[in-house]
Amino acid sequence: MKEKEIIEYMRGELGSDVLDVSTPHERRVFINIRPEALRRAVEALKRKYSALRFITISTVDCGLNFEFLHHFHVDGVVVTLRSMRPKEENILESITDMVPAANFIEREIADLFGVKVMNHPNMRNLILTEDWAENKRPLRKPLKGILPPQARRVAESLISMGCVAPVSRFIERKREAAGLPKTPPFAFTDKEDMKEMHGIIKETSLSEKVGFNWEKKRLRYR
Amino acid sequence: MVKYALFLGCQIPMRIPSVEIASRRVFERIGLETVDLKGYSCCPEPIISRLLDKTGQLAVSARNLALAEELGLDIMTLCNGCYETLLEANETLKHESEEMLQINKILENYGKKYRGLIKVKHVVEVLYEDIGVKKIRECVTKPLKIRVAMHYGCHLYRDLSGDIMRKPEMMKKLTSLTGVEIVDYGLERLCCGYPSMQVDEEFSLTHRLLPKIDKMIEAGAEAVVLTCPACTIQFETGQILLRERGVRYDLPCINIMELLALSFGFSSRDLHLELHRGAILRLIKKVEGD
Repeated sequence: MKEKEIIEYMRGELGSDVLDVSTPHERRVFINIRPEALRRAVEALKRKYSALRFITISTVDCGLNFEFLHHFHVDGVVVTLRSMRPKEENILESITDMVPAANFIEREIADLFGVKVMNHPNMRNLILTEDWAENKRPLRKPLKGILPPQARRVAESLISMGCVAPVSRFIERKREAAGLPKTPPFAFTDKEDMKEMHGIIKETSLSEKVGFNWEKKRLRYR
Repeated sequence: MVKYALFLGCQIPMRIPSVEIASRRVFERIGLETVDLKGYSCCPEPIISRLLDKTGQLAVSARNLALAEELGLDIMTLCNGCYETLLEANETLKHESEEMLQINKILENYGKKYRGLIKVKHVVEVLYEDIGVKKIRECVTKPLKIRVAMHYGCHLYRDLSGDIMRKPEMMKKLTSLTGVEIVDYGLERLCCGYPSMQVDEEFSLTHRLLPKIDKMIEAGAEAVVLTCPACTIQFETGQILLRERGVRYDLPCINIMELLALSFGFSSRDLHLELHRGAILRLIKKVEGD
Protein backbone atom coordinates (compact mmCIF):
# COMPACT_ATOMS: atom_id res chain seq x y z
CA MET A 1 0.00 0.00 0.00
CA LYS A 2 1.31 3.39 -1.00
CA GLU A 3 -0.10 5.08 2.15
CA LYS A 4 1.83 2.72 4.44
CA GLU A 5 5.03 3.20 2.46
CA ILE A 6 4.76 7.00 2.74
CA ILE A 7 4.14 6.82 6.50
CA GLU A 8 7.07 4.47 7.10
CA TYR A 9 9.37 6.61 4.99
CA MET A 10 8.40 9.80 6.83
CA ARG A 11 8.77 8.14 10.21
CA GLY A 12 12.25 7.01 9.18
CA GLU A 13 13.21 10.49 8.02
CA LEU A 14 11.74 12.50 10.89
CA GLY A 15 11.88 10.06 13.82
CA SER A 16 10.27 11.50 16.96
CA ASP A 17 9.29 14.68 15.10
CA VAL A 18 6.35 12.66 13.78
CA LEU A 19 3.77 12.91 16.58
CA ASP A 20 1.15 10.65 15.08
CA VAL A 21 -0.32 9.59 11.77
CA SER A 22 -3.75 8.67 10.48
CA THR A 23 -5.25 7.26 7.29
CA PRO A 24 -8.95 8.12 7.50
CA HIS A 25 -9.59 6.41 4.17
CA GLU A 26 -7.85 5.07 1.09
CA ARG A 27 -5.39 7.47 -0.60
CA ARG A 28 -5.46 9.95 2.31
CA VAL A 29 -2.69 10.38 4.88
CA PHE A 30 -2.32 12.87 7.73
CA ILE A 31 1.10 13.18 9.34
CA ASN A 32 1.20 15.27 12.53
CA ILE A 33 4.65 16.74 12.98
CA ARG A 34 6.44 19.11 15.31
CA PRO A 35 6.35 22.59 13.73
CA GLU A 36 10.16 22.82 13.77
CA ALA A 37 10.29 19.79 11.46
CA LEU A 38 8.09 21.28 8.72
CA ARG A 39 10.84 22.20 6.28
CA ARG A 40 12.65 18.90 6.84
CA ALA A 41 9.40 17.06 6.15
CA VAL A 42 8.87 18.92 2.86
CA GLU A 43 12.51 18.31 1.89
CA ALA A 44 12.10 14.60 2.61
CA LEU A 45 8.97 14.34 0.45
CA LYS A 46 10.71 16.18 -2.39
CA ARG A 47 13.78 13.98 -2.17
CA LYS A 48 11.85 10.74 -2.35
CA TYR A 49 8.96 11.56 -4.68
CA SER A 50 9.97 13.23 -7.92
CA ALA A 51 6.32 13.60 -8.99
CA LEU A 52 5.43 15.42 -5.77
CA ARG A 53 2.75 18.06 -6.37
CA PHE A 54 1.97 20.84 -3.93
CA ILE A 55 -1.79 21.37 -3.49
CA THR A 56 -2.20 24.17 -0.94
CA ILE A 57 -1.84 25.18 2.72
CA SER A 58 -4.92 25.43 4.95
CA THR A 59 -4.77 27.43 8.15
CA VAL A 60 -7.17 27.10 11.07
CA ASP A 61 -7.31 29.54 13.97
CA CYS A 62 -8.01 27.16 16.88
CA GLY A 63 -8.24 29.92 19.47
CA LEU A 64 -4.96 29.23 21.26
CA ASN A 65 -3.00 27.75 18.36
CA PHE A 66 -2.73 27.99 14.61
CA GLU A 67 -3.08 24.70 12.80
CA PHE A 68 -1.21 24.59 9.49
CA LEU A 69 -2.06 21.88 6.99
CA HIS A 70 0.36 21.53 4.07
CA HIS A 71 -1.32 19.34 1.45
CA PHE A 72 0.65 17.40 -1.19
CA HIS A 73 -0.19 14.90 -3.88
CA VAL A 74 2.13 11.88 -3.91
CA ASP A 75 1.52 9.21 -6.54
CA GLY A 76 -2.26 9.20 -6.14
CA VAL A 77 -2.25 9.80 -2.39
CA VAL A 78 -3.08 13.12 -0.71
CA VAL A 79 -0.57 13.65 2.10
CA THR A 80 -1.15 16.39 4.66
CA LEU A 81 1.59 17.59 6.98
CA ARG A 82 -0.22 18.91 10.01
CA SER A 83 1.57 21.17 12.47
CA MET A 84 0.42 23.41 15.32
CA ARG A 85 2.03 26.61 16.56
CA PRO A 86 0.99 28.63 19.62
CA LYS A 87 -0.58 31.91 18.51
CA GLU A 88 1.80 33.81 20.77
CA GLU A 89 4.64 32.70 18.42
CA ASN A 90 2.63 33.89 15.40
CA ILE A 91 5.00 32.42 12.80
CA LEU A 92 5.04 30.01 9.90
CA GLU A 93 8.24 28.99 8.16
CA SER A 94 8.07 29.62 4.43
CA ILE A 95 8.60 26.71 2.06
CA THR A 96 8.47 28.90 -1.06
CA ASP A 97 12.21 28.48 -1.71
CA MET A 98 11.63 24.70 -2.01
CA VAL A 99 8.09 24.80 -3.38
CA PRO A 100 7.59 28.00 -5.44
CA ALA A 101 3.85 27.32 -5.78
CA ALA A 102 3.47 28.02 -2.05
CA ASN A 103 4.32 31.69 -2.65
CA PHE A 104 0.79 33.12 -2.98
CA ILE A 105 -0.93 30.96 -0.39
CA GLU A 106 1.70 31.92 2.20
CA ARG A 107 1.04 35.59 1.44
CA GLU A 108 -2.70 34.96 1.71
CA ILE A 109 -2.21 33.33 5.14
CA ALA A 110 -0.18 36.32 6.26
CA ASP A 111 -2.92 38.66 5.03
CA LEU A 112 -5.92 36.90 6.49
CA PHE A 113 -4.47 35.67 9.80
CA GLY A 114 -1.67 38.16 10.49
CA VAL A 115 0.85 35.30 10.73
CA LYS A 116 4.49 36.26 10.09
CA VAL A 117 5.78 33.99 7.33
CA MET A 118 9.49 33.57 7.98
CA ASN A 119 11.97 33.90 5.09
CA HIS A 120 9.34 34.47 2.43
CA PRO A 121 11.08 35.98 -0.63
CA ASN A 122 8.40 38.56 -1.41
CA MET A 123 6.19 39.31 1.55
CA ARG A 124 3.66 41.92 0.51
CA ASN A 125 -0.07 41.97 1.05
CA LEU A 126 -1.82 39.85 -1.53
CA ILE A 127 -5.53 40.37 -0.94
CA LEU A 128 -5.69 43.18 1.57
CA THR A 129 -4.71 46.75 0.79
CA GLU A 130 -1.20 47.76 1.80
CA ASP A 131 -2.52 50.10 4.51
CA TRP A 132 -4.69 47.40 6.15
CA ALA A 133 -4.44 47.58 9.94
CA GLU A 134 -2.00 45.00 11.37
CA ASN A 135 -4.28 44.18 14.27
CA LYS A 136 -7.48 43.64 12.27
CA ARG A 137 -6.98 40.50 10.22
CA PRO A 138 -10.20 39.13 8.69
CA LEU A 139 -9.85 35.49 9.78
CA ARG A 140 -7.95 35.95 13.03
CA LYS A 141 -9.83 35.24 16.26
CA PRO A 142 -8.86 36.53 19.70
CA LEU A 143 -6.44 34.39 21.75
CA LYS A 144 -9.00 32.30 23.57
CA GLY A 145 -9.09 28.85 25.13
CA ILE A 146 -11.82 26.37 25.87
CA LEU A 147 -12.78 27.66 29.33
CA PRO A 148 -15.40 30.35 29.96
CA PRO A 149 -14.14 33.31 32.03
CA GLN A 150 -15.73 32.12 35.29
CA ALA A 151 -13.92 28.76 35.12
CA ARG A 152 -10.45 30.08 34.28
CA ARG A 153 -9.26 30.98 37.76
CA VAL A 154 -10.36 27.57 39.09
CA ALA A 155 -8.48 25.68 36.36
CA GLU A 156 -5.40 27.87 36.80
CA SER A 157 -5.37 27.33 40.53
CA LEU A 158 -5.99 23.59 40.16
CA ILE A 159 -2.97 23.12 37.90
CA SER A 160 -0.56 25.61 39.43
CA MET A 161 -1.31 24.91 43.12
CA GLY A 162 -3.20 21.60 43.09
CA CYS A 163 -5.89 23.44 45.04
CA VAL A 164 -8.88 25.36 43.69
CA ALA A 165 -9.30 27.76 46.60
CA PRO A 166 -6.55 30.36 46.73
CA VAL A 167 -4.60 30.86 49.94
CA SER A 168 -5.55 34.03 51.83
CA ARG A 169 -3.74 35.63 54.74
CA PHE A 170 -7.10 36.27 56.42
CA ILE A 171 -8.02 32.59 56.44
CA GLU A 172 -4.50 31.60 57.51
CA ARG A 173 -4.82 33.90 60.53
CA LYS A 174 -8.27 32.56 61.38
CA ARG A 175 -7.05 28.98 61.13
CA GLU A 176 -4.15 29.70 63.46
CA ALA A 177 -6.48 31.44 65.90
CA ALA A 178 -8.58 28.26 65.99
CA GLY A 179 -5.53 26.13 66.74
CA LEU A 180 -5.24 24.72 63.22
CA PRO A 181 -2.10 24.85 61.06
CA LYS A 182 -2.00 27.85 58.66
CA THR A 183 -2.85 25.54 55.79
CA PRO A 184 -3.76 21.88 55.77
CA PRO A 185 -1.02 19.54 54.44
CA PHE A 186 -1.68 20.33 50.78
CA ALA A 187 0.84 19.25 48.16
CA PHE A 188 1.77 22.92 47.65
CA THR A 189 3.18 23.09 51.18
CA ASP A 190 5.97 20.69 50.18
CA LYS A 191 8.29 21.18 47.18
CA GLU A 192 8.65 17.47 46.45
CA ASP A 193 4.89 16.78 46.66
CA MET A 194 4.22 19.68 44.32
CA LYS A 195 6.85 18.47 41.85
CA GLU A 196 5.18 15.05 41.86
CA MET A 197 1.73 16.55 41.40
CA HIS A 198 2.88 18.73 38.48
CA GLY A 199 4.73 15.80 36.93
CA ILE A 200 1.57 13.69 36.99
CA ILE A 201 -0.54 16.45 35.42
CA LYS A 202 2.08 17.02 32.70
CA GLU A 203 1.80 13.38 31.68
CA THR A 204 -1.87 13.93 30.83
CA SER A 205 -3.45 16.35 28.33
CA LEU A 206 -5.18 18.44 30.99
CA SER A 207 -2.84 21.44 30.96
CA GLU A 208 -2.63 21.45 27.17
CA LYS A 209 -6.40 21.35 26.79
CA VAL A 210 -6.99 24.28 29.12
CA GLY A 211 -4.05 26.22 27.62
CA PHE A 212 -1.81 26.41 30.69
CA ASN A 213 1.61 28.06 30.42
CA TRP A 214 3.93 26.11 32.73
CA GLU A 215 6.66 28.75 32.66
CA LYS A 216 4.38 31.55 33.78
CA LYS A 217 2.22 29.22 35.89
CA ARG A 218 -0.96 30.71 34.46
CA LEU A 219 -3.39 30.25 31.62
CA ARG A 220 -2.34 31.61 28.26
CA TYR A 221 -5.57 33.65 28.29
CA ARG A 222 -7.60 35.23 31.07
CA MET B 1 -11.76 3.11 67.60
CA VAL B 2 -13.04 4.12 64.18
CA LYS B 3 -10.19 5.58 62.12
CA TYR B 4 -10.17 7.27 58.71
CA ALA B 5 -7.86 9.25 56.45
CA LEU B 6 -9.44 12.70 56.44
CA PHE B 7 -9.76 14.26 53.00
CA LEU B 8 -10.40 17.95 53.64
CA GLY B 9 -10.56 19.09 50.02
CA CYS B 10 -9.94 22.72 49.05
CA GLN B 11 -13.02 24.79 49.80
CA ILE B 12 -13.57 23.78 53.43
CA PRO B 13 -10.08 24.47 54.82
CA MET B 14 -9.42 27.51 52.65
CA ARG B 15 -12.83 29.20 52.45
CA ILE B 16 -15.05 27.87 55.25
CA PRO B 17 -12.58 26.60 57.87
CA SER B 18 -15.32 26.78 60.52
CA VAL B 19 -16.56 23.50 59.03
CA GLU B 20 -13.14 21.91 59.55
CA ILE B 21 -12.98 23.28 63.10
CA ALA B 22 -16.45 21.94 63.90
CA SER B 23 -15.68 18.58 62.31
CA ARG B 24 -12.52 18.12 64.38
CA ARG B 25 -14.36 19.06 67.58
CA VAL B 26 -17.17 16.59 66.75
CA PHE B 27 -14.77 13.78 65.80
CA GLU B 28 -12.91 14.16 69.06
CA ARG B 29 -16.13 14.14 71.09
CA ILE B 30 -17.56 11.03 69.42
CA GLY B 31 -14.27 9.13 69.35
CA LEU B 32 -13.61 9.15 65.63
CA GLU B 33 -9.88 9.18 64.90
CA THR B 34 -8.70 10.90 61.71
CA VAL B 35 -5.33 11.15 60.03
CA ASP B 36 -4.65 14.07 57.67
CA LEU B 37 -3.47 13.13 54.19
CA LYS B 38 -0.02 14.69 53.85
CA GLY B 39 0.67 16.01 50.37
CA TYR B 40 -2.90 15.71 49.11
CA SER B 41 -4.25 17.87 46.33
CA CYS B 42 -7.62 18.92 44.96
CA CYS B 43 -9.72 15.78 44.40
CA PRO B 44 -9.70 17.21 41.51
CA GLU B 45 -12.52 19.68 41.04
CA PRO B 46 -15.37 17.61 39.58
CA ILE B 47 -16.76 19.94 36.90
CA ILE B 48 -13.90 21.33 34.85
CA SER B 49 -11.38 18.50 35.06
CA ARG B 50 -13.92 15.75 34.37
CA LEU B 51 -15.26 17.51 31.30
CA LEU B 52 -11.85 18.29 29.91
CA ASP B 53 -9.58 15.35 30.50
CA LYS B 54 -10.64 12.07 32.06
CA THR B 55 -7.09 10.73 32.28
CA GLY B 56 -5.92 13.89 34.04
CA GLN B 57 -8.81 13.70 36.48
CA LEU B 58 -8.24 10.00 37.22
CA ALA B 59 -4.49 10.43 37.66
CA VAL B 60 -4.90 13.21 40.23
CA SER B 61 -7.64 11.27 42.07
CA ALA B 62 -5.55 8.08 42.00
CA ARG B 63 -2.62 9.92 43.59
CA ASN B 64 -4.89 11.04 46.45
CA LEU B 65 -6.30 7.52 46.83
CA ALA B 66 -2.78 6.08 46.83
CA LEU B 67 -1.82 8.42 49.71
CA ALA B 68 -4.62 6.90 51.82
CA GLU B 69 -3.64 3.40 50.74
CA GLU B 70 -0.13 4.08 52.00
CA LEU B 71 -1.69 4.80 55.41
CA GLY B 72 -3.84 1.68 55.15
CA LEU B 73 -6.98 3.71 55.82
CA ASP B 74 -10.30 4.31 54.09
CA ILE B 75 -10.95 7.91 53.04
CA MET B 76 -13.60 10.08 54.65
CA THR B 77 -14.57 13.31 52.87
CA LEU B 78 -16.37 16.33 54.31
CA CYS B 79 -17.27 17.68 50.87
CA ASN B 80 -19.86 16.28 48.45
CA GLY B 81 -17.79 17.13 45.37
CA CYS B 82 -14.65 15.43 46.71
CA TYR B 83 -16.81 12.47 47.69
CA GLU B 84 -18.21 11.94 44.22
CA THR B 85 -14.91 12.50 42.43
CA LEU B 86 -12.95 10.13 44.63
CA LEU B 87 -15.73 7.53 44.82
CA GLU B 88 -16.14 7.43 41.05
CA ALA B 89 -12.40 7.39 40.40
CA ASN B 90 -11.99 4.57 42.91
CA GLU B 91 -14.76 2.54 41.26
CA THR B 92 -13.51 3.19 37.73
CA LEU B 93 -9.95 2.24 38.58
CA LYS B 94 -10.99 -0.82 40.58
CA HIS B 95 -13.14 -2.20 37.78
CA GLU B 96 -11.53 -0.96 34.57
CA SER B 97 -8.22 -2.75 34.39
CA GLU B 98 -7.06 -0.83 31.31
CA GLU B 99 -7.63 2.53 33.02
CA MET B 100 -5.83 1.27 36.12
CA LEU B 101 -2.83 0.14 34.07
CA GLN B 102 -2.67 3.47 32.23
CA ILE B 103 -2.91 5.51 35.44
CA ASN B 104 -0.40 3.35 37.30
CA LYS B 105 2.05 3.78 34.42
CA ILE B 106 1.91 7.51 35.15
CA LEU B 107 2.01 7.17 38.96
CA GLU B 108 4.89 4.69 38.93
CA ASN B 109 7.18 7.39 37.50
CA TYR B 110 6.72 9.13 40.85
CA GLY B 111 7.00 6.10 43.12
CA LYS B 112 3.24 5.84 43.62
CA LYS B 113 0.85 3.01 42.93
CA TYR B 114 -2.92 2.74 43.08
CA ARG B 115 -3.97 -0.72 44.27
CA GLY B 116 -7.72 -0.40 44.80
CA LEU B 117 -7.58 -1.38 48.46
CA ILE B 118 -9.65 1.28 50.16
CA LYS B 119 -13.19 2.65 50.33
CA VAL B 120 -14.32 6.25 49.99
CA LYS B 121 -16.99 7.40 52.43
CA HIS B 122 -18.83 10.64 53.07
CA VAL B 123 -18.76 11.95 56.62
CA VAL B 124 -22.54 11.52 56.83
CA GLU B 125 -22.16 7.77 56.20
CA VAL B 126 -19.35 7.46 58.71
CA LEU B 127 -21.33 9.22 61.44
CA TYR B 128 -24.49 7.27 60.74
CA GLU B 129 -23.05 3.81 60.09
CA ASP B 130 -19.78 3.66 62.01
CA ILE B 131 -20.54 5.86 65.01
CA GLY B 132 -24.29 5.41 65.14
CA VAL B 133 -27.30 7.47 66.09
CA LYS B 134 -27.18 6.34 69.74
CA LYS B 135 -23.68 7.66 70.36
CA ILE B 136 -24.39 10.95 68.63
CA ARG B 137 -27.65 11.44 70.55
CA GLU B 138 -25.71 10.94 73.79
CA CYS B 139 -23.36 13.77 72.82
CA VAL B 140 -26.16 16.29 72.22
CA THR B 141 -26.17 18.45 75.33
CA LYS B 142 -27.74 21.58 73.94
CA PRO B 143 -30.71 20.84 71.65
CA LEU B 144 -31.19 23.60 69.09
CA LYS B 145 -34.59 25.23 68.91
CA ILE B 146 -34.69 26.42 65.33
CA ARG B 147 -36.54 25.52 62.13
CA VAL B 148 -34.30 24.48 59.26
CA ALA B 149 -34.60 23.46 55.63
CA MET B 150 -32.35 20.75 54.25
CA HIS B 151 -30.22 21.12 51.15
CA TYR B 152 -28.46 17.80 50.55
CA GLY B 153 -26.52 18.74 47.41
CA CYS B 154 -26.62 16.82 44.13
CA HIS B 155 -23.47 14.76 44.74
CA LEU B 156 -24.85 13.32 47.97
CA TYR B 157 -27.45 11.44 45.92
CA ARG B 158 -24.73 9.45 44.15
CA ASP B 159 -24.63 6.00 45.67
CA LEU B 160 -23.06 2.73 44.60
CA SER B 161 -26.14 0.83 45.79
CA GLY B 162 -28.38 2.83 43.47
CA ASP B 163 -30.44 4.01 46.46
CA ILE B 164 -30.11 7.74 45.89
CA MET B 165 -31.93 8.67 49.13
CA ARG B 166 -29.63 6.59 51.35
CA LYS B 167 -27.24 9.38 52.36
CA PRO B 168 -29.78 12.26 52.26
CA GLU B 169 -31.94 10.30 54.69
CA MET B 170 -28.93 9.71 56.93
CA MET B 171 -28.20 13.44 56.83
CA LYS B 172 -31.78 14.27 57.71
CA LYS B 173 -31.79 11.87 60.67
CA LEU B 174 -28.46 13.20 61.94
CA THR B 175 -29.77 16.75 61.64
CA SER B 176 -32.91 15.91 63.59
CA LEU B 177 -30.74 14.60 66.47
CA THR B 178 -29.61 18.19 67.13
CA GLY B 179 -33.13 19.12 68.21
CA VAL B 180 -33.97 21.29 65.20
CA GLU B 181 -37.31 21.17 63.46
CA ILE B 182 -36.90 20.24 59.81
CA VAL B 183 -39.34 21.84 57.40
CA ASP B 184 -40.10 20.23 54.04
CA TYR B 185 -40.30 22.71 51.17
CA GLY B 186 -40.72 20.46 48.13
CA LEU B 187 -37.63 21.49 46.15
CA GLU B 188 -35.06 19.51 48.08
CA ARG B 189 -33.82 17.77 44.92
CA LEU B 190 -33.30 20.97 42.92
CA CYS B 191 -29.64 21.89 42.32
CA CYS B 192 -28.49 25.09 44.05
CA GLY B 193 -27.03 26.32 40.76
CA TYR B 194 -23.34 26.25 41.70
CA PRO B 195 -22.15 24.40 38.56
CA SER B 196 -24.12 26.64 36.22
CA MET B 197 -22.56 29.74 37.85
CA GLN B 198 -19.48 28.84 35.78
CA VAL B 199 -21.31 29.68 32.56
CA ASP B 200 -24.58 31.51 33.22
CA GLU B 201 -24.96 33.57 36.38
CA GLU B 202 -28.50 34.73 35.58
CA PHE B 203 -29.80 31.18 35.06
CA SER B 204 -27.95 29.90 38.10
CA LEU B 205 -29.33 32.55 40.44
CA THR B 206 -32.86 33.02 39.18
CA HIS B 207 -33.72 29.51 37.96
CA ARG B 208 -31.93 27.44 40.54
CA LEU B 209 -31.08 29.28 43.77
CA LEU B 210 -34.00 31.68 43.99
CA PRO B 211 -36.86 29.13 43.67
CA LYS B 212 -35.26 27.08 46.43
CA ILE B 213 -34.88 29.99 48.84
CA ASP B 214 -38.40 31.22 48.03
CA LYS B 215 -39.81 27.85 49.04
CA MET B 216 -37.59 27.53 52.12
CA ILE B 217 -38.71 30.92 53.43
CA GLU B 218 -42.32 30.12 52.59
CA ALA B 219 -42.01 26.91 54.64
CA GLY B 220 -40.79 28.95 57.61
CA ALA B 221 -37.11 27.95 57.59
CA GLU B 222 -34.79 30.06 59.73
CA ALA B 223 -31.65 28.51 58.29
CA VAL B 224 -30.54 26.03 55.64
CA VAL B 225 -28.48 22.99 56.60
CA LEU B 226 -25.91 21.84 54.07
CA THR B 227 -23.01 19.47 53.80
CA CYS B 228 -21.44 20.67 50.56
CA PRO B 229 -19.08 23.68 50.68
CA ALA B 230 -19.78 24.58 47.04
CA CYS B 231 -23.53 24.73 47.75
CA THR B 232 -22.79 26.81 50.86
CA ILE B 233 -20.80 29.29 48.79
CA GLN B 234 -23.63 29.41 46.25
CA PHE B 235 -26.27 30.06 48.93
CA GLU B 236 -24.19 32.69 50.70
CA THR B 237 -22.74 34.64 47.77
CA GLY B 238 -25.83 33.96 45.67
CA GLN B 239 -28.03 35.81 48.16
CA ILE B 240 -25.64 38.76 48.00
CA LEU B 241 -25.76 38.73 44.18
CA LEU B 242 -29.55 38.44 44.20
CA ARG B 243 -29.72 41.82 45.96
CA GLU B 244 -28.51 43.41 42.70
CA ARG B 245 -31.63 41.90 41.13
CA GLY B 246 -33.90 43.41 43.76
CA VAL B 247 -34.34 40.23 45.83
CA ARG B 248 -33.36 40.58 49.46
CA TYR B 249 -33.01 37.35 51.41
CA ASP B 250 -30.77 36.69 54.40
CA LEU B 251 -31.20 33.01 55.03
CA PRO B 252 -28.26 31.78 57.15
CA CYS B 253 -26.36 28.69 56.03
CA ILE B 254 -24.92 26.15 58.39
CA ASN B 255 -23.02 22.96 57.73
CA ILE B 256 -24.29 19.79 59.41
CA MET B 257 -20.96 19.45 61.26
CA GLU B 258 -21.32 22.96 62.65
CA LEU B 259 -24.89 22.19 63.67
CA LEU B 260 -23.78 19.02 65.46
CA ALA B 261 -20.95 20.89 67.20
CA LEU B 262 -23.37 23.57 68.44
CA SER B 263 -25.71 20.89 69.75
CA PHE B 264 -22.74 19.23 71.47
CA GLY B 265 -22.31 22.46 73.42
CA PHE B 266 -19.41 24.07 71.54
CA SER B 267 -19.81 27.83 71.28
CA SER B 268 -20.13 29.69 67.99
CA ARG B 269 -17.04 31.64 69.04
CA ASP B 270 -14.99 28.48 69.49
CA LEU B 271 -16.20 27.24 66.09
CA HIS B 272 -15.45 30.59 64.39
CA LEU B 273 -18.87 30.60 62.74
CA GLU B 274 -18.31 34.26 61.90
CA LEU B 275 -16.31 32.99 58.90
CA HIS B 276 -19.60 32.45 57.08
CA ARG B 277 -20.59 35.20 54.69
CA GLY B 278 -24.32 35.11 55.34
CA ALA B 279 -26.59 36.16 58.17
CA ILE B 280 -25.00 33.69 60.56
CA LEU B 281 -25.00 36.16 63.47
CA ARG B 282 -28.80 36.17 63.47
CA LEU B 283 -28.80 32.39 63.69
CA ILE B 284 -26.20 32.40 66.48
CA LYS B 285 -28.31 34.89 68.42
CA LYS B 286 -31.31 32.62 68.08
CA VAL B 287 -29.33 29.55 69.18
CA GLU B 288 -27.20 31.08 71.94
CA GLY B 289 -29.29 34.08 73.00
CA ASP B 290 -27.82 37.58 73.47
